[in-house]
Amino acid sequence: MPLQVKQLTKTFDQHRAVDQISFSLTPGNCIALLGANGAGKTTTLRMLSGLLKPSSGSISFNAFAQGKDIRAFIGYLPQYPVFHNWMSGREFLIYVGELGHLSKEQATKRADQLLERVGIAEQKNKRIGKYSGGMKQRLGIAQALIHKPKLIMLDEPVSSLDPIGRREILSLLADLKDEITILFSTHILNDAEAISDEIILMHKGKIIEQGLLSHLREKYQTRKIELHFKPFDHVEIPKLDKLPSVLEVTPHQEGVTCLVENTEIARQAILELAIEQHWPLSLFSIGKMTLEDMFMEVIDK
Amino acid sequence: MSVFVTLLKKECLESWRQFSWFWVPIVFILLAIMDPLTTYYMPTLLDAVGGLPEGTIFEMPDVTAADAMMMSLSQMSMFGVLIIILLTMGTISGERKSGVAELILVKPVNHSLYITAKWLAKLILFLSSFIIAMLSSWYYINLLFDTITFTDWFYMVVFYSLWIGFVVSLTIFYNSFSNKPGLVAAKTVGTLVMMALVNSILFHRLPWFPNNLSTHIGQMLNEGRLSQELWATAIILALLNGLLLFCSFATFRKSTH
Repeated sequence: MPLQVKQLTKTFDQHRAVDQISFSLTPGNCIALLGANGAGKTTTLRMLSGLLKPSSGSISFNAFAQGKDIRAFIGYLPQYPVFHNWMSGREFLIYVGELGHLSKEQATKRADQLLERVGIAEQKNKRIGKYSGGMKQRLGIAQALIHKPKLIMLDEPVSSLDPIGRREILSLLADLKDEITILFSTHILNDAEAISDEIILMHKGKIIEQGLLSHLREKYQTRKIELHFKPFDHVEIPKLDKLPSVLEVTPHQEGVTCLVENTEIARQAILELAIEQHWPLSLFSIGKMTLEDMFMEVIDK
Repeated sequence: MSVFVTLLKKECLESWRQFSWFWVPIVFILLAIMDPLTTYYMPTLLDAVGGLPEGTIFEMPDVTAADAMMMSLSQMSMFGVLIIILLTMGTISGERKSGVAELILVKPVNHSLYITAKWLAKLILFLSSFIIAMLSSWYYINLLFDTITFTDWFYMVVFYSLWIGFVVSLTIFYNSFSNKPGLVAAKTVGTLVMMALVNSILFHRLPWFPNNLSTHIGQMLNEGRLSQELWATAIILALLNGLLLFCSFATFRKSTH
């Protein structure tokens, strides 16, 4: 484990921004820290990067940093990165590279590589003050990577970008996944779904769900059955409630959505009832729950 | 060590790009030579603007070379110190306010080195400007007034440098736990004013009080010898410098979290 967090808590005055969270990161994975605004994502990342002291709890990077400065092994991109505007992008990268214990030659070489990789090589000698928001975000990712960290933590890396920039950065992150562990926060579920292997879902300072995305999908997605009818006038919906394993029935314009406990049993029962009642079924599907549905459901609980 | 050099180089480059390396020496030179020159040329200047009415008896004060040198120093104590404070007030607090400090401090950078590099960079800028300014003032005074020996000049520069160092250290100290440059300047000026007040009340009891440095330097220039009080004041200033820097390390580390 490159990183293990236990009972991490941060209290600002009376407010518990982060409340006893525990998790660990698997090396080589891309982990999305999901949550609405104010869920405690930024506070968590700032504590992990050493910028903020936890009120209680522990963070250990023991696998690769016994007694060393952990900052050498992590890269961090704040939500709104600010640079020295009087430097050029290239100068800044070399500067922080040297701060990350690279030699001048190594830092220069690495800076040029990264500028190419994040797609701002053409403007590398321009003053950062003249960069656009998207370019600054790219430079921010480059500076997080400059000293070859084992783990990078990115706070809302794509939230401020336009759709094209967002896709580019996401594919860059997907590329990086093979080399390092990535932990990034976002409130946009599609972004998390696009590149992450694992998610950690935060709500009001607590972790309310976490795990491999594939496991979570399995856990939630099969529990929804969608029924459409044509025409949809004389179907007796209340009967569905009484079927085994059906928990909740929500009618909508074209039919109903059933939340079920066991898909196998519920499917059998619903189909039997449908035949018995001669329902004009136009669609029967075992719902694929999107991350968004899951998010809403977990938060509602 | 190489990290320290990197930090120091960045600070110096920043002063260079902001043209501080041009205008600080120029302003310091102007401050240093202004009073000795205007004093010397006062009669000529008065004549040039029409002179005094017939029969006026106007006795020009007798200005010695040492007095002229002290004029330079007193300008430095006023406007020079103000410039130092204004140029140092945002060195840490400004980087914090903008957020760039976050990017630097998540790199494996020792917090004490970060502060020391800033302290040293400011010291290099202000002390070299001060030395250049005092050299030009020394040149004019030797030309227009009387000779001041190199040794006296040298002692004056060395001792007064401690005061400049003190102003830098004090500003850096207030920087270390703040992210508001304006507040840093206000606190520094406030502290210096308080010190001046305390000194004017307790002058006779506390001859070693930092603010008496100029008085002792003036005495040295007049009498040509280093007094015990001057040494005491200098040692206290040196200790204060070290203490302030050391406190900055602690407060900075504490306030970053």
